[in-house]
Amino acid sequence: MKLAIDERWNLIDKIAKQVVKYGTYRSTLKDAIEEITVKPLTGIPIAIAVLYGFWAFFGAFAGFFTDGFFVKFFDNHWLPWLQGVFPGKGGWLYYILVGDPTASNCFEAFGALTSGLFVAIGVVLPAIIAFYLFLTILEDSGYLPRLAVLIDTVLHKIGLHGFAIVPMILSLGCNVPAVAATRALETKKQRFMMAVLLAIFIPCGAQLGIMLEIIPQYVGFVMIYLFAGFFIFGFILNKLIPGKSPEILLDVPPYQMPIGRNVRGKLWIRVKGFFTVAIPFVLLGVIIVNIMYLTGFLGWLANVLEPVLCGWFGVPKETVGPLIAAFLRKDLAVAQLSTINMTIYQLVTSVILVSLYFPCVATFAMLIREGKEEGWRGVLQYLFGSLATLTAVVFLWGGLIHLVWIILGVV
Amino acid sequence: MGDPNVGKSVVFNRLTGAKVMESNYPGTTVDYTRGYMRLDGKDVEIIDVPGTFSLEPKDKAEEVAVKMLRENRDSIIICVIDSTKLERGLYLALEIIEEGYPIIIALNMWDIAKDKSIQIDVKKLEKVLGVPVVPTIAVSGEGIKELVSRIKEASPPDIKRVVERAGGVK
Amino acid sequence: MNKETKFIIGRVYFTVFGLIVLGIGIIEILLGLTGRSFEYGIIEISGEFLLWRGVILFSAGAFYLSGVKNFSDIRQYAKIVMASVMVWIIAGMQIFGMILESIPGGEEGGWFNTLEGFLATYSPPYIPSLFLLPFSLVVFYYIKLIEEPRGEDKNKRGNSSVNRG
Repeated sequence: MKLAIDERWNLIDKIAKQVVKYGTYRSTLKDAIEEITVKPLTGIPIAIAVLYGFWAFFGAFAGFFTDGFFVKFFDNHWLPWLQGVFPGKGGWLYYILVGDPTASNCFEAFGALTSGLFVAIGVVLPAIIAFYLFLTILEDSGYLPRLAVLIDTVLHKIGLHGFAIVPMILSLGCNVPAVAATRALETKKQRFMMAVLLAIFIPCGAQLGIMLEIIPQYVGFVMIYLFAGFFIFGFILNKLIPGKSPEILLDVPPYQMPIGRNVRGKLWIRVKGFFTVAIPFVLLGVIIVNIMYLTGFLGWLANVLEPVLCGWFGVPKETVGPLIAAFLRKDLAVAQLSTINMTIYQLVTSVILVSLYFPCVATFAMLIREGKEEGWRGVLQYLFGSLATLTAVVFLWGGLIHLVWIILGVV
Repeated sequence: MGDPNVGKSVVFNRLTGAKVMESNYPGTTVDYTRGYMRLDGKDVEIIDVPGTFSLEPKDKAEEVAVKMLRENRDSIIICVIDSTKLERGLYLALEIIEEGYPIIIALNMWDIAKDKSIQIDVKKLEKVLGVPVVPTIAVSGEGIKELVSRIKEASPPDIKRVVERAGGVK
Repeated sequence: MNKETKFIIGRVYFTVFGLIVLGIGIIEILLGLTGRSFEYGIIEISGEFLLWRGVILFSAGAFYLSGVKNFSDIRQYAKIVMASVMVWIIAGMQIFGMILESIPGGEEGGWFNTLEGFLATYSPPYIPSLFLLPFSLVVFYYIKLIEEPRGEDKNKRGNSSVNRG
């Protein structure tokens, strides 16, 4: 026998009346804090303070390991040692694995075992740990959903509801799980929009870490530029794509003290994911780019693309190497950019280009997988939809920054 | 099964010792996970599914949950309910009962209900529903042992009897 | 001293403290906007994110001032608690940064810092939030005072173990 919906609720009422008793309930400090953290007037300043804490923590933690220890280890010990003992100096294998024999630091050498390991372990790993540690604490304490409520109004403008903030924040760690998390959104339109916007505009934790290392004073600017792009293109996509973006009532969980065991467990899952996915890809990326360089393909491609790169974006043609590396890993690409001789404005432009122009392979594969959830038509829609958005974004948003520099008169 | 953000994944991790991402916000689990636990000397498969308010799915994640329920006709359902939102959890539990699945209810977040001085008469609820009901605090592990020991008591109650015992649906 | 007097003292205390926090916030915002810094004795107003720290302190000051009205109402008092939390975030991150900075040696130095270098990291001048930190801790005293009379009818947390029925 099945009950009608009304009957079911009536039955629940009856049961609840018999078994539940509500005691006198006075609001506690916890309730009061729950209230003021979601009210915009008080909530926004608190959110600013929390985000400030996030950045300060991230910077201090990553700086401690990277600048304090890893740079010293890799530049003063690992690199000279490897340059000394690796056989066949000047040979192609040496070039691929150790890189430039005259290099004095691991950014410049660009071998798989030098720059590759340095970027993956020395720079990105501490950043990833710092990021996930803070994120996990924010998650488990219950603050994150409140941030979602606060940002809800803004997201509504681009047809997404507040919970889209969860994939967004996850995305700052790694785009791959973030794309998977879009599944919790209600309509196909929302899922597609969010997945594509995330993959294009939000830099992942690995990229953030390396950006902090290379252009610390411009990271804020790059982030704001990317987020602005996120909202502007979100607004456009919302108008262009047919379909509905219904409201959703979201349920805010209570504040809780994060439990140590839980935080450790989650941190471990995420860092392990980094080790198994990121490190092989970084090494592979270095090897592929080096092979392309040795065979002369990279030089040829640089000349072919020169009009676009120099003319439209105003960056040197050598950036084609990092752009290839960015297919595999964005962090690697940014590290590689730092070794190219160019002005700081060109560097900022090329960092933005690297972020925008193609999601890394892992993210792109995830996008297609999400498309598959909707059948073969979904695959095609995700594939061509994301590529079309991508092309538009790269040329418009990437070109715009060049225009900004021209107007400011710095190029 | 249960509503979103009631602690299904935490219960799952407690039962299987597996490591599924668990977070203090709804929608952490968007796909199902299989795990195994020992029950009376046998390996039993347990499936963790995304949260859903009802058996009429509204999004992809909820679809997964309902699909898993329909595909596993012979399974026992552990229905996790947020003690502070009993009514909403019961809605799903009743739907599952109507479908004829054997069910056991975990009244999770018992500590928070206590803090909010919400008192639930567990014995009475068991009697009315005719299924085992166990209060749990999954994050700290309290009540999980009892939950495990009573899984075998789970039996599909007749919804007509439930209605009778509750005193009608009008 | 009875409770009422204590509350009055608290209100005066947090009004004064709030005004100071607000003032420092304004100074930091102005310096942040103009890109300048300020140093006097053991206080320095400079460093990264100065503008943002100013915005946070300014808001915290405003929270203090709006929270002193109906001070003993928990919903009002929560603003004072959150204002203090905001001060703690800034000060806490500063201290955290100092600790991490003090351990490794400098760019050309060895793995670890020398003892002098280690101690030098902790020497003044400090940012204003570090001076505000100890004074904001008074907040705990009043949390206790406000929650006290209501605590009696509440279940103690320790007893909330799981018992059926």
